[in-house]
Amino acid sequence: MKNYMLILILLLATTACASAEDSEDYSNDEIRTLLPFDAIPAITDPQFVSAGAAKLDADAPVIGVTFNGESHAYSLYLLNGHEIVNDVVGGMNIATTW
Amino acid sequence: MYDHQTRSLWSHITGEAIQGPLTGKQLKPLASMPQIAWKTWQLNYPETEVLSVPTRGGMRESINQDAYADYHASQRAGVSGMKYTDNRLPNKSLVIGVQAPAKGGNTQFRAYPLILFTKTAIINDTLDGVPLLIFHDKRSFATAVFTRNVAGKVRTFSQKDRHFAEDDTGTRWNLITGEAGSGKDGGARLERLPAINIYWFAWARYHPETSIYR
Repeated sequence: MKNYMLILILLLATTACASAEDSEDYSNDEIRTLLPFDAIPAITDPQFVSAGAAKLDADAPVIGVTFNGESHAYSLYLLNGHEIVNDVVGGMNIATTW
Repeated sequence: MYDHQTRSLWSHITGEAIQGPLTGKQLKPLASMPQIAWKTWQLNYPETEVLSVPTRGGMRESINQDAYADYHASQRAGVSGMKYTDNRLPNKSLVIGVQAPAKGGNTQFRAYPLILFTKTAIINDTLDGVPLLIFHDKRSFATAVFTRNVAGKVRTFSQKDRHFAEDDTGTRWNLITGEAGSGKDGGARLERLPAINIYWFAWARYHPETSIYR
């Protein structure tokens, strides 16, 4: 993992789930599993388009990263369904998380 | 999160492995623009590439609609069944979460509520001895944290129009890119530090020792 780094950029720590469990208190559970692995599929082979070809609204929120002169933008609304992009930017191996 | 190689579990918030073979390992947080309006990012980084839209089962995914709009607008906090008890701020208050650069010893954490940025876009602060410039533009939602050290000297910043600031030596800075305008500091760039936009309940849960900028 030594080459893997993380961009800490998330707004949602957790998302709303399962209302049937509302009456129980899980506050003291160290780890509570709600979804199996890959239920929210991370992007492992990201593809990119130029700024001119991106069909984003002007005010659509994105995460922006720039390293060593290379910049990537990720639509937050797109990341709602993936939460993690495994990427390489400016020669750095990064995970962009949301 | 989990990694495919060892299936260890990792925290999004702290970057630490919390279960599995890599427990205790720490990912390095990197500086980013945690959120910004597409138009503003594009203006400042015209060469940017943009994550293309994957298709799922033949359907293109939405890039201009927020599937979590109802959650953001509600008072619901996190996963049901959790109790959040740090009442220093309302659970769903948005804050900028900052940690002082590691110097050994206990890391200091500080939350800057976004509501502070209605009249000004910048805050000059010092955390654990590190002079910081906290920037949030409510129109583009751009957020950035920089050190206020320029060539070994600490500077103090005042806001100019939109995402520009001027320091006490008269240099004008772009707070999206961190770059100085022309003049004696032309070509200089402020050092950007990791920062996250996060709900208070989550920040306080992971960093209960956090202070709050008031």
